[in-house]
Amino acid sequence: MIKHVLIAEDDAILADMMGKILSKKNVRVTIAYNGQEAIDALEKELPDLLLLDVLMPVLDGHAVLDAIQKKKMDCPVIVMSNLSDKMTKNKCRQMHVQDYFVKNDIDDEELWPAIQKYLR
Amino acid sequence: MSKPRRTTASDTLAIKLKVLAREKEEVRRKLVISAKEKENVRRKLMVTAKKLRLKASQLAVTAKEKEHVRRKLVVTAKEKESIRRTLVVTAKEKENVRRKLMVTAKKLHDKAAQLAVTAKEKEVVRRTLVETAKKLKISHETLEKKVLERTKYCEELMAKDEAILASIGDGLIATDKSGRILLVNKAFERLLGWKETEARGRFLSKILPMFDANGTIISEAQSLVTKVLKERSMTTSTGTIFYKRKDGTLFPVAITVAPIFIGKELMGAVKVFRDITKEKEIDKARSEFMAIASHQLRTPLTAIRWALSSLKRENLPEELKSMLHTAHETSTQMAVTIRRMLMISYLEESATEPEMTQVDLKAVLEKVVRLHDAHRQRNGLEIEVLCSENLLPETDEQLLIEILDNLLSNAYKYTPRGGNVKLRATLQGEMIRIDVADTGYGIPKEEQRKIPKKFFRASNIASPAASGTGIGLYMVYNIVRLIGGTISFVSVENKGTTFTLLFPS
Repeated sequence: MIKHVLIAEDDAILADMMGKILSKKNVRVTIAYNGQEAIDALEKELPDLLLLDVLMPVLDGHAVLDAIQKKKMDCPVIVMSNLSDKMTKNKCRQMHVQDYFVKNDIDDEELWPAIQKYLR
Repeated sequence: MSKPRRTTASDTLAIKLKVLAREKEEVRRKLVISAKEKENVRRKLMVTAKKLRLKASQLAVTAKEKEHVRRKLVVTAKEKESIRRTLVVTAKEKENVRRKLMVTAKKLHDKAAQLAVTAKEKEVVRRTLVETAKKLKISHETLEKKVLERTKYCEELMAKDEAILASIGDGLIATDKSGRILLVNKAFERLLGWKETEARGRFLSKILPMFDANGTIISEAQSLVTKVLKERSMTTSTGTIFYKRKDGTLFPVAITVAPIFIGKELMGAVKVFRDITKEKEIDKARSEFMAIASHQLRTPLTAIRWALSSLKRENLPEELKSMLHTAHETSTQMAVTIRRMLMISYLEESATEPEMTQVDLKAVLEKVVRLHDAHRQRNGLEIEVLCSENLLPETDEQLLIEILDNLLSNAYKYTPRGGNVKLRATLQGEMIRIDVADTGYGIPKEEQRKIPKKFFRASNIASPAASGTGIGLYMVYNIVRLIGGTISFVSVENKGTTFTLLFPS
């Protein structure tokens, strides 16, 4: 069965790039360009994995995580942010985030194995 | 008498008789005259006799007198004799005295001679003394002049010092050994709201409590003044310290404290502090700008990198693959530079707090080596990793990787082809020791002290080894401090460099 990944990323270029890379790996991709869109998409269809940015307009990543917890959605989350500070990391960890990547520091080659774990 | 004439014998006789008569008469007359004269003589003699008798009696008297005189004279003679004798004795005595005097005179003479010599010497001494006195006078005058000049100079200096103290914008406090305030300047009054009269004599820690960035009070034992008085050397605050004004408000300060010595004795400390509110604001604005700029650069760069990396895996002609490889590598390098710039802005802002977790050191070393393996192979270098078993320090993994990443990439960058690099981790007491040793260009001795400076690049590697920004080591030194470690290096030009990192296990 084809796995479904929701990408919540406000930077359109990056979001589309990730989408294309994942599509090539035979993954179905939905893209949300802000937090609100992400929550809407989650309510519509629970994906196998959420790739979540933190700094987003309308609603940010934290708001998305809050919604997931509140609505008891069962969905693994990998945060991909450019924020590398302890506070954001800790906050995400408390919200049962599976992995945290600083997207500028990694290559797609490193990201892929982490994503793959949740798509088996 | 009648003249003989031619007459007869009778006549001649008669004439002769007549002549005789006449002659007789003559004689008679003469006799008469003679008698008369004799009478006269007799009378005269009588008179003379009388005179003589008188004379005789006179003489008798005189004789008597003379006898008397003689007697007297005899007496006198006797007296004289006695006197003479006395005189003889006296003469003898006088002779003795004379002799003695002679001797004395001689002595006196000698003495005089000696005195003359002494006098000469004394004269010389006197002249010398006079000379010396003159010189002393001149010296004294000079000295007095100098003292006056010096006093004037000192007064000017003091006035200048006071003016400087009054006019400097930095707050200044001098304390004695026990931390009691001796003196403060105008800026102190202005910055803190305390008057000098209120502050003087009181303990510095009472008047001026210090707080760290979290608002926690810094105890006196940890204060810079305490440190300076203990270590007897100057120190400058690191990190941000806040002072509390008299009205209770806080403001950030940069502090330098120096010990005061009089001779070798420690008398107290002088503390100079500067209100860095403005700097903090500027720093913050700069850091924010750096952060935003970096983020704005990073996000598109990430997209580029990912696209390139993804493309690399496509089945493309070798020529295109090679171009893609270069593009991917340079964009990755750019991403690293941006990350470092961002990190420095965080470090300088003290916004980064180490995140302590148990770290598998061996895995970290392997990861870092793997990360730079392409770089190593390209430069034709050997790597040797030595790691003691079970090194699991409590530290910030990300920061540690950042340090090693820098050191290793420097080692690769600045070692000529064919060299080798050693990465060695051992336990040294309570500390973890990591050595990164290369056989590279080394750092010129005269430039070694510049090492932790931002944007420093050694002159011998600036051209041959191409790229480099000079922020890597600056960052390393800052991160090392953050994880409570120390870093040092030994470098010999054209022999190599060994960086040694020590941090708590």
